[in-house]
Amino acid sequence: MNKTVSIIITLGLVIGIGIIFFGDNFKKNTNINEVQENQNIEIKNGIQYITINAKGGYSPRVTSAKAGIPTKLIVATSGSYDCSVSLVIRSIDFQKILPQTGETEIDIGTKKVGEKLEGICGMGMYNFLINFN
Amino acid sequence: MLKTYTFHVTGTHCAACKILIEDILKEEDAVKNVQVNLKKETVLIEIDSEKSPEELARILTEKIKQNGYILSVEKKIIEKENKNVIWQAIPIGLIFLILFFLLQKSGILNLGIGGKTTPVTAFIVGLIASVSSCLAIVGGLVLSLSAKISQDNISDTKTFILFHAGRLFSFALLGGILGLIGDSIGINFTLTAILGLLASTVMLLLGLNLVGVFSKNKITLHSGIFQKINSVFRKIEHKTLTPLIIGFATFFLPCGFTQSMQITALSSGSFISGLLIMLSFALGTLPMLALLSFGSASFAQSKHAPLFFKSAGVVVIGLGMFALLAGLAGLGIINPLFNI
Repeated sequence: MNKTVSIIITLGLVIGIGIIFFGDNFKKNTNINEVQENQNIEIKNGIQYITINAKGGYSPRVTSAKAGIPTKLIVATSGSYDCSVSLVIRSIDFQKILPQTGETEIDIGTKKVGEKLEGICGMGMYNFLINFN
Repeated sequence: MLKTYTFHVTGTHCAACKILIEDILKEEDAVKNVQVNLKKETVLIEIDSEKSPEELARILTEKIKQNGYILSVEKKIIEKENKNVIWQAIPIGLIFLILFFLLQKSGILNLGIGGKTTPVTAFIVGLIASVSSCLAIVGGLVLSLSAKISQDNISDTKTFILFHAGRLFSFALLGGILGLIGDSIGINFTLTAILGLLASTVMLLLGLNLVGVFSKNKITLHSGIFQKINSVFRKIEHKTLTPLIIGFATFFLPCGFTQSMQITALSSGSFISGLLIMLSFALGTLPMLALLSFGSASFAQSKHAPLFFKSAGVVVIGLGMFALLAGLAGLGIINPLFNI
């Protein structure tokens, strides 16, 4: 194989990897985020419930929630076996391997405006973010 | 009468080879002094013998042949390793990486397996896990160690069988223990994350080594730290226990699938059911991992060996970087960079 051809192919492949890894970052700034916003939030008896689905990653990836009211996070799994079941939320010192199917309720207290809550799976390749405002 | 000969040597691909050859040859009574010159690929031998240089080369080769070195009077014309090999290896390695990450992205692997986990489902989960992102750590480690071991011409089949046997055995045993005590060993997140970082560092080092980044060092480093590390590594490779221990350690490597199976074993309530679940899971991961290790061995003996080692190196570096960045993010040291 010609060296120049190889270098060109290599560059193409590197760009391909870049798209696989970071392509989502461009998409999420557009419509997807807005559609999902608030759909996973429910306020019952003065408590805000945020539902995150954990299966092959977390969805929604970014959630905007209300600050200033007691909040509980519900992480729902259904037949999940991958990394997303080993959930770590560092800011509240939460580490647990979730049941393969079920809902796990996590009390995250009352957050101030501008605070963030970040969850990540044990191996680190899936994550989700909740913005409070 | 003491005579000094210079022989040409082939097979000295690492810094530790110098030490190994010198050690082995110095054990011969007739040999008074040995000096390996890695740069020139020659061995200077002071020997008390009346035999002809050709005969000496043959006799001494017998001693070091099993380690992959050959002495000769005439310089053996080795097929010059094509320098352009790396330019073929990089795209090949990248194609494999892209296919792997696309597979992760596609969501094909997220098929839900509902209901109670039986040994059969554990086996299927094992099959899925073996091509999932867990492959980045466990598979990458297996590939890098296998390729390295094959490259070093050590009796690789035995090593691989020991590794896989050790892996199956420890999964079964630890699964059984989990079922028995119903308490969490091996599910400490920080511990597994640190092990993951360690594994990815090993992968990166071996990957760079396979690609040949370190091969130039054999010229300059005569007794440097790298040579020491390499010689330690070589010694470790020879031990029977090592592949067993690495097989054992894969139980604790960070992998969501392994962890959820551990939880299942934990709640299974008995030694036998925990054992069966973890054993079936490990059996499910076996085909892919066996393919990686025995595949390396067979490629290592083919004429495409240099291309294979370099491509494998590229793949391993890619997976190692992925696992390292993900591991650091998992520990909260850096912000998560991606979501695969």
